[in-house]
Amino acid sequence: MTPFESRALTAAIYLLVVDGIAALYLGGLFGLAGFLALLALVAGSLWQESLRRVVAPVPGLGPVLVGVAGGALVVEIVTAATGMLDVFVHLLIFLLLVKLYTLRTLRDARDVTFLSFFMLVAASPVTTSMVFLGLFVTFLVVGTWLLMLRHLMYEADIVAGPTGRIGKEVLRLALAASAVTVAVTALLFLLIPRVGQAALPLRSQSSRIIAGFTEHVQLGAFGEIEADTSMVMRVRLASLSGADGPPEQLPMLRWRGIAFDHFDGRTWTVSRSTLKLTLRRDRPVPFPVHRYYGGPVLTQEIYLEPIDSQMIFGAPRMLQLDTRSEFATIDDLGNVAVPLATARAQYTVESEPELGDPRQADIADARLPHDPRWEARYTQLPAISPRIRALAREITAGSRDPYDAGRRLSTWLGREIAYTRVLERPATDDPLEDFLFVRRSGNCEYFAASLAVMLRSLAIPARVVNGFQRGEWNPYGRYFMVRLRDAHSWVEVFVDGAGWVTLDPSPRAGIETVAAQPPALMWLDSMRVSWYRYVVSFSLHDQLAVVETVRRSTWDWSATALEPWTWRRGAKLGAGLVLAVGLGLMLGWRRHRAAAARASMPSFYARALRLLARRGVVPRAGETARELMRRAAGAAWAAPLVPITAAYERVRFGDLALDPDEMATVEAALATLTLAVRTKGP
Amino acid sequence: MTLRALLARLTPQRTIRPTRDGWWCLGAAVGLGFAAVNTGNNLLYLLASLLLALIVVSGMLSEQSIRRLRVRASLPGEIHAGRPALLGARVTNLKRRLPSYSVALEAGEQRMYIARLAAGAERLVTWEATFARRGRQRLPGMRLVTRFPFGLFLKAGRVILDDEVIVFPAVRPLDAAWRRRLAAGGTRSLRRRGRGSDLYNLREYRAGDDHRMIHWRSSAKTGTLTVREMEAETATSTRIVLVGEGRRDPARLEVALSEAASLAVDLLAGGAAVELIGPGLHVGPGRGRSHQLRLLTALALYDPATAAASPVRRTPGLSEIEVSLA
Repeated sequence: MTPFESRALTAAIYLLVVDGIAALYLGGLFGLAGFLALLALVAGSLWQESLRRVVAPVPGLGPVLVGVAGGALVVEIVTAATGMLDVFVHLLIFLLLVKLYTLRTLRDARDVTFLSFFMLVAASPVTTSMVFLGLFVTFLVVGTWLLMLRHLMYEADIVAGPTGRIGKEVLRLALAASAVTVAVTALLFLLIPRVGQAALPLRSQSSRIIAGFTEHVQLGAFGEIEADTSMVMRVRLASLSGADGPPEQLPMLRWRGIAFDHFDGRTWTVSRSTLKLTLRRDRPVPFPVHRYYGGPVLTQEIYLEPIDSQMIFGAPRMLQLDTRSEFATIDDLGNVAVPLATARAQYTVESEPELGDPRQADIADARLPHDPRWEARYTQLPAISPRIRALAREITAGSRDPYDAGRRLSTWLGREIAYTRVLERPATDDPLEDFLFVRRSGNCEYFAASLAVMLRSLAIPARVVNGFQRGEWNPYGRYFMVRLRDAHSWVEVFVDGAGWVTLDPSPRAGIETVAAQPPALMWLDSMRVSWYRYVVSFSLHDQLAVVETVRRSTWDWSATALEPWTWRRGAKLGAGLVLAVGLGLMLGWRRHRAAAARASMPSFYARALRLLARRGVVPRAGETARELMRRAAGAAWAAPLVPITAAYERVRFGDLALDPDEMATVEAALATLTLAVRTKGP
Repeated sequence: MTLRALLARLTPQRTIRPTRDGWWCLGAAVGLGFAAVNTGNNLLYLLASLLLALIVVSGMLSEQSIRRLRVRASLPGEIHAGRPALLGARVTNLKRRLPSYSVALEAGEQRMYIARLAAGAERLVTWEATFARRGRQRLPGMRLVTRFPFGLFLKAGRVILDDEVIVFPAVRPLDAAWRRRLAAGGTRSLRRRGRGSDLYNLREYRAGDDHRMIHWRSSAKTGTLTVREMEAETATSTRIVLVGEGRRDPARLEVALSEAASLAVDLLAGGAAVELIGPGLHVGPGRGRSHQLRLLTALALYDPATAAASPVRRTPGLSEIEVSLA
């Protein structure tokens, strides 16, 4: 083992070990302190020789130390391990440390490789982070290098010979092999059949409890989170049918979460009388949510971070929902909830966005129900200040219809009341009176609540909705990045013939200036989404989609090919193809023959011919090497050509290899020939 | 390129066997695949794919390493029974650009390793082999094998160089009894150095000289060690006659054939013409290396089962020496 090989092997082993430990840390299988302690222990094993000199002279000390460590492991597993995964991880770490502190043979290097690999295996069920991809690729490159190096050293050890000074060459070879391995891994990953939906991580990610998306929301709940830049969800607009233009430019695009129908003066709630329906599906078909009114349909793929809410967000009016969950609860407020996700959730919703003036719509299914209980529910109000009722009447005086009244109120609020995220304690008992007449400023919740209350005071059915604004557009991944600060409240008002229609009185969008993310961060975020979309949550459905795409493309192609006008073109194309293949075969054959001729020619003679060709001396057709040598007689290069020709005849026709002395003679002659050819003259 | 060569190139006969590490890798891939299917965890699918990809890449690189390697035998001119023979093979990398890594030639128990063979380069590997019996025998054959690149699988090419060779009877120095019998047949001096009985020259001792040839009287006289050089002698042309057929005692037969071969080689080395006569075999008188090969071949292929005495016209003027096959 040369010093370079020895150092390379050690470096590869420790890189793999650090990679494996980093994977465990990434999976949250131990904390930062444990991570650093483990790294220190691993680093300590680099000085195992010194340790061995201390331990080896004392008989039985080595096994005792290992036994004590093993006992400690058993105690630790019994007392602290919370599951089989913990036991597995602790066992791996124990074995790894034993191996590192007793590392001697190449077989130990192999064992360390396997143990590091199983660390990645242990981390895989508990992480979805894209950092895992980096650790995976690192393992692949370093592992390939290590395995190659180890193999060559092992073989050289068997024959007790050198590895032929190819240690450095192995690194290049390993990089090339790694590139091929990555490609084959990707292909196999796509092709290995799945049996259903991708699984979620075994352990839940830490989710934040966010106010505003439960069935009881107090005014001002968004106060804190409106400055929080944490990512809540990413919304990819998959398609828009029935409308022109790019989907991201749709007006009023927002992500509806939960609607409230009851207000007690301070808190909005979902009333107990709300009709809820829990659906269970047996087949992989989407859950129906809302009746389709015949407008454009927007399909959204949503990646929702864990936010301790069961609500499903999507553009209003949500038509159907496709998610991995078998259950979904849908109520008559249009709220959709699924069982609480422990990790990032992915789902697809189809929505019918509101476009145009709703008063032009005349949809039979969206008529105002003449049901006193329904009207009472959506016009319910607590005891409110008469000033609010009077204000509502004053603003809407002369309105042609309820929608017109709603727009007038919304416009007035946006114009007369200031938007602010800084919420002060109300000076009166009635927060809305305080908002409208005293402070005359507040956040979107106050705007929405005021509008809904004023509408209801005019006997116009209205409800408050909490959700998110559209967020920041990521051009690299073509999706919206929605953050906590995008949490928003607005109002839905019922328009006869059009159903529930959105009204947003808050002037927030025009006031807030949000600095755009740097392009690098945007790109990184899009990579993260791709990782989650195409690796972590790759499922049987995706595989079938790929197959379907291929099948459809093939079908389209064959259908086109059967059209009569394409036959003539096809015939021409076929003839061209046959010609090209024939030409290719001919060229390939000639190249093959030339290669065969070159292969039978010793490299030193080929080099000599190349040198002679520089001076225009090339073998004529049928001219032998000796004839060429005679032709060169008298020239400056005649003398060195003699031993080269003799060696050529010996190798080519005598079928004998040159010994080192003969090779040295040939090399010297080649050097002389090079000099002679480069020297100007005849 | 002939059709057969093309077919051989398209369908290289390889045997692939997992090593112990390979079995571990396969086991881990199967286990991970099972876990991935059961849990639906895509990262487990990814890791299982990695192991399978390593196996695929291992197959590709090992094939790249072993393909287009030409192996040609380099055999000694004579192989004698019971004597180690130096066998050789020339391995040539016929690839135009890519080197071959970590290939080995396996011949029986012997293993010759080549860490790297550059494109177009050739390497001669040699090993010793001993054939216990004379006669027509098949070489043990050899295979090109590689565990490259990861040591997970042992890939082996077809068995090659399993040709037939003729193993000659063992040739040993003649003992004193045979020398006396040869001397009785008469010798003739040649005016050059040799192993005869007449003195040719005296010269200074050189390392490696036979101590028995030291001429002590001259050494004492000159004060330096002096050795005798003898004149070469040649036996008169000799006919070796094999008596009997050797059916009863195979061991005796082998000894007798070995003696006959040793006699023939010794006589030919001394410049004599040698004729061989035996049951069912006759090699006319002749000299030189090609004649020696004819004689040794006849002795190597002698089979008492098919031997039948037949009348042979004996060449006149040759002294005769009998070897009993019993």
